[in-house]
Amino acid sequence: MPAQIAADIETADEFDAMRQLALYRTMSLIRATELEIEHLHKRGRLSGSFHSSIGQEACAAGVCAALDRSDIVMSTHRGHGHAIAKGVPVEGLVAELFGRSSGVSGGRGGSMHIHHRASGFYGETAIVGGGLPWAVGVSWARRRRGLDSVAVAFIGDGGFAQGIIHEALLLARHWPSPLLVVCENNGLAHSMPSEALFGKPGSIAEIVGVTGITSRYVDGRDVCEVAATAEELVRRLRSSGHPALLECGVFRVRPHSLSDPDYRYRERGIGDEWLEAHDPIAKLRHRLEALAPEKVEAVDNEIAVEVAAAVEAAEAAAPTGTEDARHSVYSTPALDHG
Amino acid sequence: MAELKYAEAIRAALEAELGVNPDVLVIGEEAGQLGGVFTVTEGLQAKFGVHRVIDAPICEAALMGWSIGVAVEGFRPVLEIMFSDFSLLALDQLVNLAAKLRFMSNGQFSVPLVVRMPSGGGTNHGPQHSQSLESIFAHVPGLIVAMPSTASDAYWMTREAINLDDPVVVLESKYLYFRESGVVASDPLPFGRARVARPGSDLSILAAGRMVQRSLAAAAILGEENISCEVVDLRYIWPLDTETIASSVTKTSRAVVVHESVEFGGWGGEVSAWIAQHIFESLDAPPSRIAARRTPIPFQQHLEDQVIPTVDDVVRDVRELAAY
Repeated sequence: MPAQIAADIETADEFDAMRQLALYRTMSLIRATELEIEHLHKRGRLSGSFHSSIGQEACAAGVCAALDRSDIVMSTHRGHGHAIAKGVPVEGLVAELFGRSSGVSGGRGGSMHIHHRASGFYGETAIVGGGLPWAVGVSWARRRRGLDSVAVAFIGDGGFAQGIIHEALLLARHWPSPLLVVCENNGLAHSMPSEALFGKPGSIAEIVGVTGITSRYVDGRDVCEVAATAEELVRRLRSSGHPALLECGVFRVRPHSLSDPDYRYRERGIGDEWLEAHDPIAKLRHRLEALAPEKVEAVDNEIAVEVAAAVEAAEAAAPTGTEDARHSVYSTPALDHG
Repeated sequence: MAELKYAEAIRAALEAELGVNPDVLVIGEEAGQLGGVFTVTEGLQAKFGVHRVIDAPICEAALMGWSIGVAVEGFRPVLEIMFSDFSLLALDQLVNLAAKLRFMSNGQFSVPLVVRMPSGGGTNHGPQHSQSLESIFAHVPGLIVAMPSTASDAYWMTREAINLDDPVVVLESKYLYFRESGVVASDPLPFGRARVARPGSDLSILAAGRMVQRSLAAAAILGEENISCEVVDLRYIWPLDTETIASSVTKTSRAVVVHESVEFGGWGGEVSAWIAQHIFESLDAPPSRIAARRTPIPFQQHLEDQVIPTVDDVVRDVRELAAY
């Protein structure tokens, strides 16, 4: 957490409260950004589509709270929350969606290709399950270099059907790699209920646990539980150099993507119903308001200002020029224009 | 310097790079302890250890992705895919990640990966172990596609590939491993440069891999009939050395591509189109291809010869071209 907050802490309770406030802040930043992105799309100011992580914020925030800046995160196609939690600047992320040259990927990748090496956010992937193998390789290579860092690779319950996930888990075990695989189980593989595929939440952790990889399940509605479990697993794998898996039960509040007619496979309004009953951000806010209401309000205001400023700056920035459509395919410009 | 077999030349190249660069790794199924099913990596694990020459489980897709992860951290992995046909298992990771990561990340990541694969027919391994898939890789922006046809080129092109900062697919001819030998040249090759394997004046045969040898054999026969064939060994399918192609075809005015890839969608079509578009004025005949027919490759030699161009096929078709 920021040094300023750490310096103010005098008691264990205060420490706990400060950590919770930091988690609240991260989740709120994700939520506010995702809502703003939705808003921009609805008003036709963004092109393409995106895959909202609303409802899954506690997983991103809780897991990333256990990491240092030099730790690595790989994500999915639904990765805005992971990116923000890892420290990718919101302005750079939004600028990417606007197709600005100031976008983290130069405005050429878009929503599913947020890459920000400086913050350790190695990147999303648009191929379901496709990010896990290189995450294994990265974590192995960094350990091989003597770095203390660990890597986290987010996957989904949908991705768990992909063969390459099982191949990658094999490699993580066989060539020991300090990698935490976080399976965000939001219950839906696009439109397909994953319970029908793998069983009740917790089953994915069981399946992987049988292969000898330390595996846990955690309820993604409680960010503090997620944070505590992630911290324990990360500490363990940082010292052991062996992989672990955390299955985190979350909820996909929105449709799969902007254009997905999810009312054709689940009840209309089910997302809002879930938020009403289980929103991890609301739950934590409620708890924190009892302890420090003015701090909560301050965070809320900061975030509103931060997101508004980020969007304004991103939208005002220069679009990626046509002259930049084709560079950096290869390591040399001569090959780029071949 | 001693003559090396094509397979030995590749081994020597890997050994040289493992020796000078501690970041070079060799990975493959049976590549470590057993030294590779074609013996190309024999002895390397004993010399450099199990942490540099790594035996892999049978999971091509994840191996490709794993190697990408290792490469972005500054290692130089040389991944062996046991038969080029198996690379299709790993095609998503090669095409959607390795080839695109630099671009998608706007230069934040580079992928200095080499994927080497025994390719092509001639060894009676059957339809799923004999394909020539270089046309697929050449179609993908972000990849470099190398196809050495001599022992010396195999040596230097392997070393070059390891030192490039882009993903390189090296298609080695499994047929040539023990049937082609040569003295390794003392100097490295200029990158991306084709070589004129046999100078000639009546027509240009453009080939790669083991079709270079068949083209040379055909050229020798045709030479007796006073048809002077220039044989160009392209060495790289991408980047294509259009300068050498242009200078040869402008001189001879007739061009034919010979390759083991299937004719439809094969890279010979690309070369022919380029020639037709850029060298039209100098042509006395349409550019053409002698290529594999649209049939999976049967395992028996006499049946394979009905699918993959033989020396006789090249002689016959080139005679026609000369007479056009």
